[in-house]
Amino acid sequence: MRRFYTNPLMFSLVAVAVALALPHAFKSPYYIHLMTLALIWIVLAQGQNLTQGFVGYVSIAQAGFMGIGAYISTLLTMNFGVSVWATLVIAPLLTGAMAIIAGYPSLRVKGHYFSIVTLAYNMVIFIVLMTFKALTGGEAGIPDVPRPSELTLFGYVFSFEGRSNLNYYALALLAAVLATTCCALVLHSRAGRVMLAIRQNEDLAEAMGVMTSRYKLFAFVMSSIFAGLAGTLYAHYIGFLNPEPFGVDQSLNIILAVILGGSGTLTGPIVGAVSVIFLPELLRFADSFRLIIYGSILVIATIFLPKGLVPLFVTTWQRLRTRKTVAADNKGTSKA
Amino acid sequence: MIELLQQILNGLAIGSVYTLVALGLTVVFGILGIAHFAHGSLAMFGGYLTFVFSTTMGLSFFASMALAMPVGAVMGMLIERFGYRPVRDAPHINAFIIALGLTMMLEGGNLLIFGADQVIIQTPYQQVFDFGGIFVAQLRMVVIVTAVTLVAVVTLLLLKTKTGKSVRAVAQNRHAAVLMGVNVNFVSSVVFGISSALGVAAGALIGALLALAPGVGESFAVKGFAVLILGGLGSLPGAILGGLVLGVSESLAAGFISSAYKDVISFLIMILVLLVMPQGLMGKK
Repeated sequence: MRRFYTNPLMFSLVAVAVALALPHAFKSPYYIHLMTLALIWIVLAQGQNLTQGFVGYVSIAQAGFMGIGAYISTLLTMNFGVSVWATLVIAPLLTGAMAIIAGYPSLRVKGHYFSIVTLAYNMVIFIVLMTFKALTGGEAGIPDVPRPSELTLFGYVFSFEGRSNLNYYALALLAAVLATTCCALVLHSRAGRVMLAIRQNEDLAEAMGVMTSRYKLFAFVMSSIFAGLAGTLYAHYIGFLNPEPFGVDQSLNIILAVILGGSGTLTGPIVGAVSVIFLPELLRFADSFRLIIYGSILVIATIFLPKGLVPLFVTTWQRLRTRKTVAADNKGTSKA
Repeated sequence: MIELLQQILNGLAIGSVYTLVALGLTVVFGILGIAHFAHGSLAMFGGYLTFVFSTTMGLSFFASMALAMPVGAVMGMLIERFGYRPVRDAPHINAFIIALGLTMMLEGGNLLIFGADQVIIQTPYQQVFDFGGIFVAQLRMVVIVTAVTLVAVVTLLLLKTKTGKSVRAVAQNRHAAVLMGVNVNFVSSVVFGISSALGVAAGALIGALLALAPGVGESFAVKGFAVLILGGLGSLPGAILGGLVLGVSESLAAGFISSAYKDVISFLIMILVLLVMPQGLMGKK
């Protein structure tokens, strides 16, 4: 018999229920704000995990693509009067289209050279956002980015205005669940298996007749679509947009989230995203040491914990359980 | 025409600094297969150190640089020993993630020790010469000569000394080198020492020529890798040629197109080279 915590579907349902109940438990608006951000980061990290964890290509452009999504959506809603509900779909897709153009040349190189090219992309995106003032407003940014309009479902009216809005929290949760489900479906499909094969041995996968470039591009584009979605959610949540959160260091934070949680797992990015959002709160006393501490965590985690937190929990849990059952069995046999 | 020559000359000065950065990166990549991304931040640390030596101890620019180089070399060796060596047998991507972590640590350290203000290292080389309409700043000439000297010294070290020979042996075939009795750990340390000392020199030259500020190191590391991609991975002549090509094209872009977008243009060149010749200008097929 499978217990509920080993059944993935039951486990996810319980997790979602807990996530829905949490804001009612912590009534503090500040925590609701942080948790909304964490949910947006889950979308980002799931996207990063597709390339970094499944295919084994570490892209350092995730924050840049998040920025592209955020700016596309903001400009569409503010200049062309498109509804936020529409841009929540359009902006990620347009981000994905950009990723096709960006991914085609960069995926011709392997390993860390791919990383460096994507890093260059992130720098280009950042420079353009900073200097193309006529469109993006430069460093001063764009104020008053609108929230989504009211939504009427089954006779209930859902409003998304105001700080730490519970309906926006639910919207972010929906996005996080959607992203995680998408990743789970991909992982268990043929495409997902090819991605894992590329991570393990790209030459061998190619020799088996797999057109690896197609799958790499698929993962890269899908990852950017997630980044675009996260960016859209972020822009309309914060309400003020400037290029600062889309720089290279943010991309490094996303990599940290995936490594810390456990790259190549489905739950890892969730744990990682939540940790990376809440870590600065824990480290608030040491704000000037923040970069150093983040860097040390990244180095130490890579050396001593290359698989991340989630696999560590799982193996420890299994070891404890087997010890318990072994102990129980021993008791049983000694009595008999 | 004169404008063109002027921009090319300016580009050669900054390009020679790129070459110095790229040379350190290419040596590390050739020997250890590590994309040592923290190199740029280490270079900035060296630049700041040179600044501190020259302002507080009253030393000349070159004396402070010479003093900062061994400090940087020791730091590089420590980074290799405690950062990269533990993951030597793990997938290469782990070493790269370590490099990103080290970058964050070094950038954080620089920010904490030296502050967030922009720093320019003062040098006595302030004259400007006029060669028939082309203005040559003495500082730019000093930068080019320093870079050429350092590149020549390192090339000689690699080609003529016994240690250099073992470094090249490890680069060509690590297993065979081990079988021939080459101490790979020693070679790795030496390579990181040399590469970091070069990085410090580059940082000092950047501090004199442009300015030191948070984030500059990262952008120089990316430029260094752009040079590697341009020139061909692990190739010494490629690093030299690539550095000059990048410097000159950036300077031309700044002079004739837009100075705000000069970095964008240099990255686009890198991406174009990748598309047309993925093995780089001087790389082997």
